[in-house]
Amino acid sequence: MSKRKTIIMPCSGIGKVHGLIAREATYAAADMANAETLCLALLVSGDKDARAKIKDADCIAIDGCPKLCAAKNVEMAGGRVVKSVRVVDSFRGHRGAEPGTATALADDGWKIVREIAADIACGLGKSEVK
Amino acid sequence: MSDGDIKVGIISCSGEEIPEGTISRLATRRVLELMRPGNTVTICLPLFLAGNEAEQDFARKHPTITVDGCGKLCAKKGTEKHSGPVSAALVVSDILDSQCSCCARSAKDRTESDKEAVWLVSEEIAKAVDSILTENGGCCNSEDDTDSATCACSKPVPGMEILVDGKPITVAGLALIFDHLAVNGLAPDDKCGDKLLETVRIYHAIEPEEENAYKAALILAYKTYRRKS
Ligand code: SF4
Repeated sequence: MSKRKTIIMPCSGIGKVHGLIAREATYAAADMANAETLCLALLVSGDKDARAKIKDADCIAIDGCPKLCAAKNVEMAGGRVVKSVRVVDSFRGHRGAEPGTATALADDGWKIVREIAADIACGLGKSEVK
Repeated sequence: MSDGDIKVGIISCSGEEIPEGTISRLATRRVLELMRPGNTVTICLPLFLAGNEAEQDFARKHPTITVDGCGKLCAKKGTEKHSGPVSAALVVSDILDSQCSCCARSAKDRTESDKEAVWLVSEEIAKAVDSILTENGGCCNSEDDTDSATCACSKPVPGMEILVDGKPITVAGLALIFDHLAVNGLAPDDKCGDKLLETVRIYHAIEPEEENAYKAALILAYKTYRRKS
């Protein structure tokens, strides 16, 4: 198994519920898999410490929509994206779901958060919440 | 852009690493949804940073406020680099000082301290919006903006109607204001008028000569609301 650190970064899109799901899934997956997150805007701003942090890390990007802002920005900043998750794809198995809003998630939204987080944690060889 | 069309842009850093980033995102959402819904627009910062010229035109089209979690000022720096100077730059850690030491990053860990922090920061953002609107002579409240740079969920919250001097007036988000005050222990008695007036006028313009009529209407509405809830 890779010894590289894992850093999970969401787009945190402010306009849609998908952005909030990406953000909450990041925190949940980081808890489950003992991984870290990093401010995406800080990385993109060129901050030296942030760039150094991702240099030797495997990055997982969680994006709300197909514009893939997190994945693109991480790559533009020199990061290595080993997995790119699209929240919009997770909705396929949840037709008619009422996930909440960009401000607060409803039960369906939290369900999708847990699924994405569990999938990421599983891929990292972790399956239990800390 | 005519005076009546002025929309203030708000760009939040939404920093993922610290609670202040979560507060910046939520306070921005609160201003867009509840406090100044007709006068504000936003754009996702990562989209803006990775975006094409249309997205990066945002701060040239709208007088823009940035809301950053900490002194690294990622939203401000990114906006100024890609789009132009900002009209105001707010920093959550400066506004809250040490008050956010027990705040959380995730909604699942949120407590009353987080709500209070979001409330305080959103009030500062709303004040900055108002001062930009005043400077630009704009005070429109149209809700049919179709600006392509606007994010999809910035829809206004429903209002509640009160009778001010016998005249029906709708106050946006009044139920949420009442809920907040109830949680903070405001009793529904005849002494609650000053607090109601002070809070509601942050979100809803009240002329000095209307104060007494609003106070009476708000006391009545708050008592009725608390009886029902
Ligand atoms: S301003 Fe601070 S909290 Fe916001 S993205 Fe930058 S480093 Fe993170």
